[in-house]
Amino acid sequence: MSESADSGVLPAPESTSLEVMAHLKTGKCTTVELIRHYLKYLETIGRDLGAAVEILSDSALAAAQESDTRRASGKPLGCLEGVPFTAKMNIATREGTTDAASGMLRGFAASEDSTAVARLRAEGAILVGKSNCDEFAMGASNESSHHGVVHNPWDRDRVPGGSSGGAAALAGSFGWAFHLGSDTGGSIRQPAAFCGATGMKPTWGRVSRRGLVAFGSSLDQIGPLTRDARDAQLVLSVMEGRDPLDATSQSFNPSETSSMKRIGLVSEGLTEAIAPEIRQRTVEVVERLKKMGHEVVEVSLGTLSKANACYQVIATAEASSNLARFDGIHTGQRVQSEDLEELYSKSRRQGFGAEVRRRIMLGTFVLSSGYIDAYYGKAQQVRREIRQEMLSALDKVDSLMMPVSPFAPFRIGERVSDPLALYACDILTVTANLAGVPAVAIPCGFDSEGLPIGLQWMGKHGDDHRLLDLATSLQDQDDSWRGLPPGGSQ
Amino acid sequence: MSWTTVVGLEIHAQMATQTKMFCSCRRGSSISPNESICPVCVGWPGALPVLQSEAIRCAIRAALCLHCDIQEFSRFDRKNYFYPDLPKGYQISQFYRPYALGGVIPFEREDGSPAELPLVRIHMEEDAGKSIHESDGTSRIDLNRCSSPLLEIVSEPLPMTGKEAASCVRSVRDLLRWVGVCDGDMEKGNLRCDVNVSVMPAESSEYGTRTELKNLNSFVSIERSVLVESARQIEVLTGGGEIRQETRLWDQDREITESMRGKEDSPDYRYFPEPDLPVVQIGSQDVEEQRAALPEMPEVRLSRWLNDYGFPQLETVPLMARRANGDYLEEVIQAGADPASASNWFRGEVLRHLNDRSEKIEDFPVKAADLAALISAVKEDRLSGGRAKSLLQEALDPAVCLNSLIEEAGSQEQDTDALAGWVDQVMQENPDAIAKIKAGDMKPMGFLMGQIMKLSSGQAHPKKVQELIRSRLS
Repeated sequence: MSESADSGVLPAPESTSLEVMAHLKTGKCTTVELIRHYLKYLETIGRDLGAAVEILSDSALAAAQESDTRRASGKPLGCLEGVPFTAKMNIATREGTTDAASGMLRGFAASEDSTAVARLRAEGAILVGKSNCDEFAMGASNESSHHGVVHNPWDRDRVPGGSSGGAAALAGSFGWAFHLGSDTGGSIRQPAAFCGATGMKPTWGRVSRRGLVAFGSSLDQIGPLTRDARDAQLVLSVMEGRDPLDATSQSFNPSETSSMKRIGLVSEGLTEAIAPEIRQRTVEVVERLKKMGHEVVEVSLGTLSKANACYQVIATAEASSNLARFDGIHTGQRVQSEDLEELYSKSRRQGFGAEVRRRIMLGTFVLSSGYIDAYYGKAQQVRREIRQEMLSALDKVDSLMMPVSPFAPFRIGERVSDPLALYACDILTVTANLAGVPAVAIPCGFDSEGLPIGLQWMGKHGDDHRLLDLATSLQDQDDSWRGLPPGGSQ
Repeated sequence: MSWTTVVGLEIHAQMATQTKMFCSCRRGSSISPNESICPVCVGWPGALPVLQSEAIRCAIRAALCLHCDIQEFSRFDRKNYFYPDLPKGYQISQFYRPYALGGVIPFEREDGSPAELPLVRIHMEEDAGKSIHESDGTSRIDLNRCSSPLLEIVSEPLPMTGKEAASCVRSVRDLLRWVGVCDGDMEKGNLRCDVNVSVMPAESSEYGTRTELKNLNSFVSIERSVLVESARQIEVLTGGGEIRQETRLWDQDREITESMRGKEDSPDYRYFPEPDLPVVQIGSQDVEEQRAALPEMPEVRLSRWLNDYGFPQLETVPLMARRANGDYLEEVIQAGADPASASNWFRGEVLRHLNDRSEKIEDFPVKAADLAALISAVKEDRLSGGRAKSLLQEALDPAVCLNSLIEEAGSQEQDTDALAGWVDQVMQENPDAIAKIKAGDMKPMGFLMGQIMKLSSGQAHPKKVQELIRSRLS
């Protein structure tokens, strides 16, 4: 596989997946050439950023070869034919490991692809690697992975956001591929915003969770991190729909098919708590929307202030149960011991990192007898209020918009020792998870330090593709998102 | 002072489904350890439970035969605790919103009067695996049972004796077996029972503090443990002591109950709604489908047998013991045998053969229709009773077809030459008897008959023999 064998013309580094497919169709390069180059990118920049933790060269090149053969022999091609993609470390793939970035699952090899990955492969997409993330997807800075930290491609001293930090850093630094992440409280949208990528959290139940290592099952969704909303649209359309192996999955029809005319600007997303430059950018985008013919009205979501507390209770409660299976007996690293209690406590103390242990303890506490009504019960009640308020707001407007993060990407280490400062990253993102509605984050320019700013739009259950249409029309008006960070594309 | 014992039951019944509750792994015990497992039932990361409809159908039938109020909407919850044979670290159960409320267990008081134990609820849950503790201190884990479907039937407390408590569990066992929901073998553990026991002064109506006796696995242990535990409580109370709410274990050999853990040490299961499973909806159509699929219930069958067939009450006892017995008998009757003869044949011959071979009726090699043909052949005098019984014996060999045996035997008996030979021989050998009969004394007729039957090894048909003798003498 010497470089001299590659004689084709590769697509531009910032190209989207759709553009890459058009490029392959013209025959300017082969899929093998494309994949080989992408693997090289993963080996260099991907590794440097700490974003790519496993690179699946052999299986990817074999798949690329098969794709070239299919194309040469005129066989039917998939709708993602030849496009490289990565999966987050908590999404099961038959090659590589699925350790959820935890020492507890070190070396864990899933026996099968997750449903999402299987559906993408069936349409010709090529799995090239596994991306770094926070341990068990718990975090907003990608600083809790046992594979190490991930760097923001726009400023390597800063975090990429989390928990899908690896996927976002890859999507933000180079084109061609798409990246699967998971979003429990903002884990796709916040890193996408930090890294200048497009991130989509689908309606809960739209994409099968089978094969996703569970964190907060009633909140978790797999979704794409891409260059733009068109790519996200395509990837989602392949992954989505009822899966008999996930009883909570379903096929959705949009409530309407018309474009989203009326946009609600969430006033709580423009308070003093939000960085001035982000507020400023939000106002500018509102002006652009108006110019494009949208009606923008201010909408109040009073429950937004309660959302993060509610989220912390529900997500940790479910996590404490979901992570109980890692007991050192059936699944997870075992620390041998004479005594059963000791085996449990030693294995779990050693296997889990500090943040995961903290959340397991919190979740165990909020479900405990004597406290469950005051914490978990109350949180369930608040969750119903949040959902109701969200749905009644979405009765009046097609979509609700607000920033993704209250602040710009922070420095690595800046918040890691202060859990509450880290949890504050989620204040604007958790609402969509609690309500189960779809939300898309797209890059909307940069702040004065040259760091990306992302805004998000939420819609009714099932309105995922209408949201992505709206995001596409915005991205068609402003192509500042197309640029790659200096040094990102080699 | 005289005391009243109050008992409440929690009965765990394994549902007799083909598959486990949340995956398509085969359910059952006759497989080697850890043979029937998959990522779902052993809780691998990323695997998700999917409720199998067979478990729901089974659960509906159980609720119907215990007259519960089936809930249109119910839900699963997670019951969290650590145990080596519980690989997910939680059991999927129904805590907050069970699928069936109310209902009753019919049972018989010690004096024979009918009574009902009211139920609080029935809920579905998945079973855990099994830990096998070896004598060398090691433990092995078999996950075959993991995620097998269970029903937990919870009763209200009711004043009753130990014997009556056992009778309640027997009644549930019989009903669940009858409708095919549970195999009901307590010794195999597919029906287990926890018993709550309290005592109160006979004139009181306020129940005392209860203790819970865990995992009783026979009717005898239910009866004895209630008796022993209530005696213990009475002794404590009359001695001025107090009953501690606690879980106790029954020591069958020593016939004592021993404290296992107090209420304060009882595990905190941290129940919360299972986010991986949608709400369970049981529509009226689902219920009606299962109602239609229910077999004829025992009380209906019994009254029909007593009234329509005129079976004496006592005869019905062995017939009612297992539904399949009665089903077979019904088939024999439907195939044309008269009910009284069918019942006689079943109780006399079929049950004897089953006992000899320690088989169940499901394994009986003779088809109900063939047995009906045999019974009819006797009734219509084509076969003698004795001959028919020996044919049935022969037909226990699965290679033998009873129907052709009947045809063959029937034609042999119609062989009048053979019959005439036997009759003529006996008449020749007994001239005195013939002379008496000719003189009008019919008494020796019986003696002649006996001789002919002996000579023919029971094959000669009595009626035809009589006819032949008469024709020879006239």
